Amino acid sequence: MRHFPLLPLVTCSWFYYLTPDPFPFLSKLQTLQLQPPSPMASQSHPYLNGDSNTHIPKKPKLSSLSSSFITEAEIQSEFSHHDSTIARINNGSFGCCPSSISNSQQHLQLQFLSQPDHFYFSHLKPGILRSRTLLQSLINAQHLDEISIVDNATTAAAIVLQNIAWSFAEGKFNQGDVAIMLHYAYGAVKKSIEAYLTRAGGHVIEVHLPFPVNSNEEIVFEFRKALEKGKENGRKVRLAVIDHITSMPTVVIPVKELVRICREEGVDQVFVDATHGIGCTDVDMQDIGADFYTSNLHKWFFCPPSIAFLYCRKSSQCLDLHHPVVTHEYGNGLAVESAWIGARDYSAQLVVPKVFEFVDRFEGGIEGIKKRNHENVVKMGQMLAKVWGTNLGCPPEMCASMIMVGLPACLGISSDLDTLKLRTHLRDKFGVEVPIYYRAPKDGEVDLVTGYARISYQVYNKVDDYHKFRDAINELVGDGFTCTLLRG
Amino acid sequence: MGSQSHPHPHLNGDSNTHIPKKPKLSSLSSSLITEAEIQNEFNHHDPTVARINNGSFGCCPLSIIQSQQELQLEFLRQPDHFYFSELKPGILKSRILIQRLINAHHLDEISIVDNATTAAAIVLQNIAWSFAEGKFNHGDVAIMLHYAYGAVKKSIEAYVTRAGGHVIEVHLPFPVNSKDEIVFEFRKALEKGKENGKKVRLAVIDHITSMPSVVIPVKELVRICREEGVDQVFVDAAHGIGCTDVDMQDIGADFYTSNLHKWLFCPPSIAFLYCRKSPGCIDLHHPVVSHEYGNGLAVESAWIGTRDYSAQLVVPKVFDFVNRFEDGIEGIKKRNHDNVVEMGQMLAKAWETNLGCPPEMCASMIMVGLPACLGISSDLDTLKLRTHLREKFGVEVPIYYRAPKDGEFDVVTGYARISYQVYNKVEDYHKFRDAINQLVGDGFTCALLYN
Repeated sequence: MRHFPLLPLVTCSWFYYLTPDPFPFLSKLQTLQLQPPSPMASQSHPYLNGDSNTHIPKKPKLSSLSSSFITEAEIQSEFSHHDSTIARINNGSFGCCPSSISNSQQHLQLQFLSQPDHFYFSHLKPGILRSRTLLQSLINAQHLDEISIVDNATTAAAIVLQNIAWSFAEGKFNQGDVAIMLHYAYGAVKKSIEAYLTRAGGHVIEVHLPFPVNSNEEIVFEFRKALEKGKENGRKVRLAVIDHITSMPTVVIPVKELVRICREEGVDQVFVDATHGIGCTDVDMQDIGADFYTSNLHKWFFCPPSIAFLYCRKSSQCLDLHHPVVTHEYGNGLAVESAWIGARDYSAQLVVPKVFEFVDRFEGGIEGIKKRNHENVVKMGQMLAKVWGTNLGCPPEMCASMIMVGLPACLGISSDLDTLKLRTHLRDKFGVEVPIYYRAPKDGEVDLVTGYARISYQVYNKVDDYHKFRDAINELVGDGFTCTLLRG
Repeated sequence: MGSQSHPHPHLNGDSNTHIPKKPKLSSLSSSLITEAEIQNEFNHHDPTVARINNGSFGCCPLSIIQSQQELQLEFLRQPDHFYFSELKPGILKSRILIQRLINAHHLDEISIVDNATTAAAIVLQNIAWSFAEGKFNHGDVAIMLHYAYGAVKKSIEAYVTRAGGHVIEVHLPFPVNSKDEIVFEFRKALEKGKENGKKVRLAVIDHITSMPSVVIPVKELVRICREEGVDQVFVDAAHGIGCTDVDMQDIGADFYTSNLHKWLFCPPSIAFLYCRKSPGCIDLHHPVVSHEYGNGLAVESAWIGTRDYSAQLVVPKVFDFVNRFEDGIEGIKKRNHDNVVEMGQMLAKAWETNLGCPPEMCASMIMVGLPACLGISSDLDTLKLRTHLREKFGVEVPIYYRAPKDGEFDVVTGYARISYQVYNKVEDYHKFRDAINQLVGDGFTCALLYN
């Protein structure tokens, strides 16, 4: 039959997937190579040898330890699987994942499939623990218990909000108690608030933010207004849901200040939805001070789809959060519950250490990446706004690695449907991938920019991507194109 | 075991370009998969391990893994395009195939979720809302089997008990000798549930229990539930599809869930939740709420935020795979059953023990008594013995502790749950037989595993 040597099972389970493959027969399976068209980026560091993973750095600030930084060619190689015909300026929607990480993930998947019981009993828990430990240090959380790993921010929202629903159902909260959310909160989160909070008897108040926005003060002003409304008639504000960076339109919200105001005003709990947090903006749990904080790792932190963390500040209210998918771990704390929600593929959660290594290859690590992304997206945004004679949606200091750029008014964007159709048109006819936001004119406004493109900048982007977009819009304008042409 | 090599020169490959009207998964091509091809498909399994535990985590052939990886790469390549153009049609196609396979009347009745555990949470969260919103009264009852899966029991606690419901367990005998024993206990529990005018809102019934594993006569129990006025019946068939017969019209439950990665060769993980079209069904929601909230459970479940949906999209390929076997999934089920019974009987004879149930009450798993001299006397013993078998003998098999009842002595207290799937060979079970014989011969007892 087979002639593979009897292989000793690896005993050092923590670093199982980081050490040389103990199942060499797996590599004989030629069919399972992820095939990027160009050669894989080499990862040799002359003096820092492979196994720099054998210690957990005390504070992995992800600054690069090696003087051999990733080169531009290596970066392009890592993302050579991206469709080369597309100017991919929408990292904000689905993120990205380098080939070397995908390969590591596939390796994990195959390890599970090769002997799942062994994987379950010996590798899964230590692997998740390791990922949580790295994340704890990264976001400056004080206790490991505070870090749970979940699929995405949408799941994290469901966890927090289901707990709120129980509080209403069990009489801890009174009917009519209030939750505050931003008008620009992500659609899924708004629905979740409806599904759990409104349904359970809570009252929701939206914070209406201006857009375009000019300063943090505008946001703070509106937030205070909404809080006052929430506290009218002696009602209690049980929860404030605040985006760290809104999705559409995208703006960086001054969360630290808003959390402080919430504390002053007696809001029970604050939940920061930072889908676009890690790898995009500064994320420090002590600095921000929220009760709950969630961020996706597959958007701006190079993890494969999908993985997010939910941070729950250690306090009495936090003890009762549960993952909605209940297993035998029920009651052992959210982190432990989330680490096992039935048989499924946990590889995206286990590949986190490899991702930290990847990020460390960049100059300045994640801080360097954030800084360069921000500078580049501002530069590209300003270039586009200048060429089109439009404006940005916010000042540069209120964006991170995404920015809203006004589209020429003559395109006639006058509905959400227009933005979808225009987006499809740009994808299909011009090979440009970019989401578009419809900003309805207010009373009295005329001849205004009604459409904003949300451009992103990530390490794989090039100036040409934005030139392609610039030229596409210029062509549409030159052709006298309007969105009415896309209807019907 | 039957050989499967029948090369047919005239029937060509591409029978996949149409969706058969009734994909009963019987082989349409006369070029059946060969034994060598089967072994190749499972080449990635650890060859040092006698893998007789398909029941826990299932299996996935290499060709399916490859298809899945292609899908994953497609997404990463241009995710927006994938999301807008491929995801929904792909999930729809999978749902259609599943609908036909299980004989559901309406496509709306089929939702795809991660696993049976998730399906249970969906059904039970709905029950919790019913209590919270006053549709049910405090103390209304839910019935479940004592042998219900641990996660489901916890889910019932988390959603039903917490919301004010009262849970009654059906105590089943084990070993079990006939269906009548099960029906008897079930009726007893139902009567108890209806005492003092209480309403039985939900019966949760395993189609095939996990540990110890027994096929439950669900059709009959569902019928009894209807007679006795139980509001809704939820059949947890984690081991359903590809293991036993699954026909929604025949079984008649309100909710039915089955994993597809256990016995239907899908990658981890995917399950379906069937919800019989009825007024009670309309209000189910996926607990992870997205912008699709309110558009029906199937649509909600098809988008629960950004994640890897590839396991759900690869279902058509899996149907192709199964069709390569003689008589498709029916043939696989039958051969698995015949083989696991044969292996179980062989082991029980070699060890002079007994099976946990008669052959007709098992599907592709069976409980085989372990020699009493091994001294299995707790759940912890079974875990340690299982680990010992894995590490020292290269045998992967879960073990169940069956506590002696009053008056019983010198009985079999440990049962191994052996599975049979297409990649298994007689040698796997011989390896297990010999391992136990060696332990017995060495005078091994579980007490030795502590320190």
